[in-house]
Amino acid sequence: MKTGLTKLVGGEDKMDSKYYATWEEYLAEHPELEGKPEHAISPKIQKYEDAMFVFIMDLLL
Amino acid sequence: MTDAVAMTNERNQIFRDLFSGKTPKRVPISNPATQDFAIQYAGLDLAECQWDLTRLEPVYDKFCQDFFTDTYPGGSIRIPSHYQILGSTPIVMSSSGFMQHPEVVGLLAEEYDEFIASPYDCIVEKILPRLFTELNGAPGKVAMALAKAMRAQSDDLAYLGTIRAKMNAKYGYAAMIGALTEAPFDFVADFLRSFKGISGDVRRYPDKVAAACEAVLPLLIKKGTLPSPGMLGYTFIPLHMAPYLRDKDFATLYWPTFKKLVETMAGMGQNVQLFVEQDWMRYLDYLYELPENTIMRFEYGDAKLVKEKLGKKHIISGFYPITLLQTGTKQQCVDKAKELIDVLAPGGKYWFQADKSVINFEAKGPVAENMSAVLEYVHENGTY
Repeated sequence: MKTGLTKLVGGEDKMDSKYYATWEEYLAEHPELEGKPEHAISPKIQKYEDAMFVFIMDLLL
Repeated sequence: MTDAVAMTNERNQIFRDLFSGKTPKRVPISNPATQDFAIQYAGLDLAECQWDLTRLEPVYDKFCQDFFTDTYPGGSIRIPSHYQILGSTPIVMSSSGFMQHPEVVGLLAEEYDEFIASPYDCIVEKILPRLFTELNGAPGKVAMALAKAMRAQSDDLAYLGTIRAKMNAKYGYAAMIGALTEAPFDFVADFLRSFKGISGDVRRYPDKVAAACEAVLPLLIKKGTLPSPGMLGYTFIPLHMAPYLRDKDFATLYWPTFKKLVETMAGMGQNVQLFVEQDWMRYLDYLYELPENTIMRFEYGDAKLVKEKLGKKHIISGFYPITLLQTGTKQQCVDKAKELIDVLAPGGKYWFQADKSVINFEAKGPVAENMSAVLEYVHENGTY
C-alpha cells in the first residue's frame, strides 16, 4: 500500500509503507466495504490508522 | 461567567496576541516545573504516582494553587506503563523514579539504505524490535504486547486529560493544545543512530545522513500536525544536535530538512515552538530565516543579542537559568527575572519560560520558594 503522506512536501511519495494506509488505499484493499456508509466508516478507520502512527512515532521521540 | 472562565478567555487572548505578533496585555508566563517536581512537592513517591495516576489529582491541585502560571503546568509524555509492557530500552525508569533515556542504537549504519527506501517500514520491522524487547519475537506475542501497550497509554493519557480539564476549569488556564515532533537530523540521531553513532556518520556517510533526513521528513511533518491548524496551540520541537556539529555539517545536514519542517508547519497555519537547547548563538542568522513569529525558547546564550537579531521577527522565550533557583537568594532570583524582562519584553514577542524544566524537588531546598517568588514577580510586573 502506498500513502499520500508526502503530498505535504512536494508530492513525492517516499513513505511507501506496508504499515500505513490512507482511507482510499484501505478501501481499495477491502472491496467488502463497497456500498457501505463511507461517511461513517472512513473517519473511524482513518482515526485508528493515525492513532497507531502517532503511537509508533512517540516511541522514538 | 465564572472567574475561571473569564481568566481562560483573558489568557487565550494573551496567547492569541503573542502568537500573531501583537503586544499582549502582559507577558505570558509558564511554570517551568514538571509533573515529577509536582509529585515530590506533594510529598509523594515518584514511581508510585506515575504508575497509579489516581494519586495525581490532589498533586496537581496543590501545584496549581501554589505556583502562578498562565498555561497548564506539569504534563508528561513519559508514562511508564506502556514502556514497561513493551520492554523498552530507550526509555526506562531509574531507581529514583525518573524516566531516563540511555544511549541506544536502533538503526545500524549498514541499514541506512533500507531506512532511506522506506523509513516507516524500517521503523516497524527493524528499529522497534531492536529497542523494545517485547516487539521482538513471535508475531502473536508482538501483537499482544502492542495491543496492551497502546491500550495502557490511551488509558493513561485519557486520565491525565481529565485532570488537565479539571485544573483548567478551576484555575482558568489558557486552553492550548500541542503536538510534538523533531527535526529530522535529531530524529535520526536520538533513538536511531545515537549521539556517538551520528557523530561518526556525518564524517563517514554524510550523503546517507542527508538522505535519511529527507526520507523521514514527511513522517515528522505528519507527527507534528495539529488536529486543526486554527486551534490555539503549537507544535513543540526540541532541538538537540546542532550545537555539536561543525558549521558546514549544520548547513548541509541539519538545516535544510529542519527548515522545511518549520516552513511546512507555518504554511499550514500552525504555530511552532522550538526548544533551542544548548547554545545556538552561532546559528542566529539561520534562525532569523524561519517563518515570522516562530516561538524560540532558548537555553543558553546572549539574551540581548537574540532580542536584537531575532526579536522583531520572532517570539523569544527561555533564558531564565533554573540553576539560580537552587543557588541564589530570593532577591537574586527576582532580580534575574527583572533583568530578562527589561531586555526581552519591550515591543512584545516575549513569553516568560525558563531555560529548562525543573524536575527535582528537595524539601529543605530553596527552589519552590524562589520559583514562586519569580512567577509572582513576572505576573505583577510584566504588564505592557
